[in-house]
Amino acid sequence: MRMRKSAASTPARSAPGVIAVFTGADMAAEKIGVLPCSWQVKNKDGTPIAEPPHPVLAISKVRHVGDPVAVLVAETKPQARDAAERIASEWEVLPALASMEAALDAGAPLVHDEVPGNLCYDWHLGDEGAVDAAFAKACKVARLELFNNPLIPNAMEPRCAVGDYDAATGDYTLWTTSQNPHVIRLLKGAFVLNVPEHTLCVFAADVGGGFGSKIYHNAEEAIVTWAAGKLKRPVKWTADRTESFRSDMPGRDHVTQAKLALDDQGRFLALRVRTLANMGAYLSSFAPCVPPYLSATLLAGVYTTPAIYAELKAVFTNTGPVDAYRGAGRPEATLLLKRLVDIAAHEMGMDRVEIRRRNFIPKDACPYQTPAALQ
Amino acid sequence: MPKVSLTVNGKPVSVEVENRTLLVEMLREQLRLTGTHVGCDTSQCGACVVHVNGASVKSCTILAVQCEGTEVLTIEGLAAPDGTLHPMQEAFREYHALQCGFCTPGMVMSAIDLVQRNPQGLSDREIREGLEGNLCRCTGYHNIVRAIAAAQVVMHGKASELPRAAE
Ligand code: FES
Ligand code: FES
Repeated sequence: MRMRKSAASTPARSAPGVIAVFTGADMAAEKIGVLPCSWQVKNKDGTPIAEPPHPVLAISKVRHVGDPVAVLVAETKPQARDAAERIASEWEVLPALASMEAALDAGAPLVHDEVPGNLCYDWHLGDEGAVDAAFAKACKVARLELFNNPLIPNAMEPRCAVGDYDAATGDYTLWTTSQNPHVIRLLKGAFVLNVPEHTLCVFAADVGGGFGSKIYHNAEEAIVTWAAGKLKRPVKWTADRTESFRSDMPGRDHVTQAKLALDDQGRFLALRVRTLANMGAYLSSFAPCVPPYLSATLLAGVYTTPAIYAELKAVFTNTGPVDAYRGAGRPEATLLLKRLVDIAAHEMGMDRVEIRRRNFIPKDACPYQTPAALQ
Repeated sequence: MPKVSLTVNGKPVSVEVENRTLLVEMLREQLRLTGTHVGCDTSQCGACVVHVNGASVKSCTILAVQCEGTEVLTIEGLAAPDGTLHPMQEAFREYHALQCGFCTPGMVMSAIDLVQRNPQGLSDREIREGLEGNLCRCTGYHNIVRAIAAAQVVMHGKASELPRAAE
């Protein structure tokens, strides 16, 4: 959606108990940076991936349900809730992309004007020629199309953050439900708030359930820290359940086509995998590394498959940003491989255990360099 | 702010609430009875079920002021003062009807009301249907159904002891 009228002039400002309302434009005017992506990948041709800016608060365009547009600080939670309903922004609805296939269609609307074709990156791994040659002499090819659906982490303990500012020393303190306080301090200081790291102290005391969903640098952490400095008062935010559903980073969301070449004895000759990985509307802290480095490199599994080729397109859509969740990429690769091996056994009339036995990496071959694992 | 007077777990209480305060907010945040859980804010999960005048109610879906003069029972009020568990709690323990335990307070409170409303006894299928307002993301429900089936035998006085779970 495009913002027609900003929340800046909102009647919420004069609602009872309201201390301040900030918009993305207010933060940009103070030279607040964007949420950085901290793990980069290169395209097939060696060029860098597309990393469109991820403003802390959406500025003129909202790209997904849960993309925050304003921050309202009030004396009490009920006052904040009431006032938030009076944030009057007006929106023009733009076409939205809910699937990667639609996002890659020629002529699809653009999630970010500066990213043609909504393609974040196009990556590959392995020896395509060796894989093609192996398929040419295969007795059997097993095929699988798999949608590894997105999942919402939904920790029992929603995310929360408290920012504080000491006017005497100029130091900021953030208490946050983070699995990753050191990195958050680094990213927030260097890229978002542009303040020296030694003025930032980050505490992660009671974190609650995480499994990755609390490992990223989230907008709210930067916002409460910055707002505490502006207002010279501590500022606290706690997600409610609906906010957790909408703004915690989901995991997975891969659509994969795979094929496995086998000889007549059920020995694996080659594996070819094509994946579309959803990045959502912005790149979250570690999102780009999950499908290539944490998933494709695991595609050999425990088998001696001599040739593997994996191709990967990472795609922007209008879902919330997708990032690492519980195992991050490794379960995606493992599920794919297990399913594919079962299909091969079934179609060849072989026992599922026996086909595995024939392909296991033998104990005495370890340490073993697979064709997918990075050296 | 309105004041609401009611009985919670057998004790009379008077609490100042906002008009919009939900029963679950009053229980958790003002009375600090945090055994009642909030798993959603959309009336779907049932983690928040308590009894109001004996009937199971999603406490996130009723205002505190609507509970004026009522008797509210939460998971904290189920066990006897000497710590003896209610047969439903005992059955959940015996039948391993929980993993993380987040849905459990609501499951137990719903299950007790379900059994009390059905003195003729419930089939497994009826138990499953009766639990449609309670979601569990861990157990897959089988052991919850087994626990309720076992507890109803004790609650209806058909046995003095809970049938033991198979080893
Ligand atoms: S908290 Fe989910 S139904 Fe009440
Ligand atoms: S036991 Fe975990 S949600 Fe039911």
